[in-house]
Amino acid sequence: MILLGKIVLGMAGAGLAGAGVLCSEGVVHVKVIEKEPGGVHINVIAPAMLAPIAVRLAPRRDLAKACEQLQANLPVVRAALEGLRDSEDVVLVEVEEPGEHVEVSKTAGSIVVDVDDADATVHVTAPIRAISSTVEELAAATSNPM
Amino acid sequence: MKMMQKRTQVGVVFCLFAAGMAALVNPAMAAPADKYLHVNVDDATEGTKVNVNVPLEMAERILPAINNRDLHDGKISIRNKDVGDVDFRAVLDAVRTAPDNEFVTVKDKDSDVRVAKANGNIIVHVIDKKNKEQKVDVTVPLKIVDALFSTANKDELDLAAAIRALSDAGDILLVTVQGSSEKVRVWVDSRNTQD
Repeated sequence: MILLGKIVLGMAGAGLAGAGVLCSEGVVHVKVIEKEPGGVHINVIAPAMLAPIAVRLAPRRDLAKACEQLQANLPVVRAALEGLRDSEDVVLVEVEEPGEHVEVSKTAGSIVVDVDDADATVHVTAPIRAISSTVEELAAATSNPM
Repeated sequence: MKMMQKRTQVGVVFCLFAAGMAALVNPAMAAPADKYLHVNVDDATEGTKVNVNVPLEMAERILPAINNRDLHDGKISIRNKDVGDVDFRAVLDAVRTAPDNEFVTVKDKDSDVRVAKANGNIIVHVIDKKNKEQKVDVTVPLKIVDALFSTANKDELDLAAAIRALSDAGDILLVTVQGSSEKVRVWVDSRNTQD
């Protein structure tokens, strides 16, 4: 009985540790709610660490266009991410029009985009560290095509 | 017992001393506050409001990374056809050494324009009479103009140096545009919000 308890405890600990490692770079949260009747409701919360792993595992030909576009702007993207990572929390852009509100901010190490207009409400949170890792994976995929 | 009390007193005094030293030292060691470039556009007729807050440190890092036709390594090329044969460095030197004064005053039926130097700033004031009395005020510290022209190449403006100079300057209102229904303000300060 005691042995069984130890095994269960060990498995629970390993599960918790695994979840901790998986979520160590934060989570990506995408929420889309279309306002029309029967509109799409999407709510995805995924460990941010999966993004660079997914890029590494994805077929190169499917990433070709993204890599090509990124390569041209890689220094700017890197500089922007570094600058954002080191800056305080800040609302970078806020646009308010009748029936529409857009906000892009840096909050607690993540880029947060909120859009609320007549058609839909969109919320995206992505940790900057995870974006950097994903960008570097894409850059590496460009320089080492398989 | 007495020994115990004495040790406690010594401990308390040491803690107070350490706390006092930390309070004294921390402000001195604190990094200078980040500066932000703020842009605020408020159009009452359209009901549109736009707020932009850019950390200047981030801008300093991004600018040198941008390389397109005219903007490269944080510098922007001035095309000869844009400026003709005007030697901006000579003009700047003349303005820098001149006492505070009003340099240009133009008044016609469409607009009033005034360019002056005051308290180390170049001030441009424009009233556009055609466009519903739109007023534009631009204040640029001379230090920033100096930084803009600090490159060796006379056909370039050093934007990155100007951003660095802005970071080192105090809080300043750079541009205001006041139209009949819209207001635009551009300023730099140490706050990360516009409240």
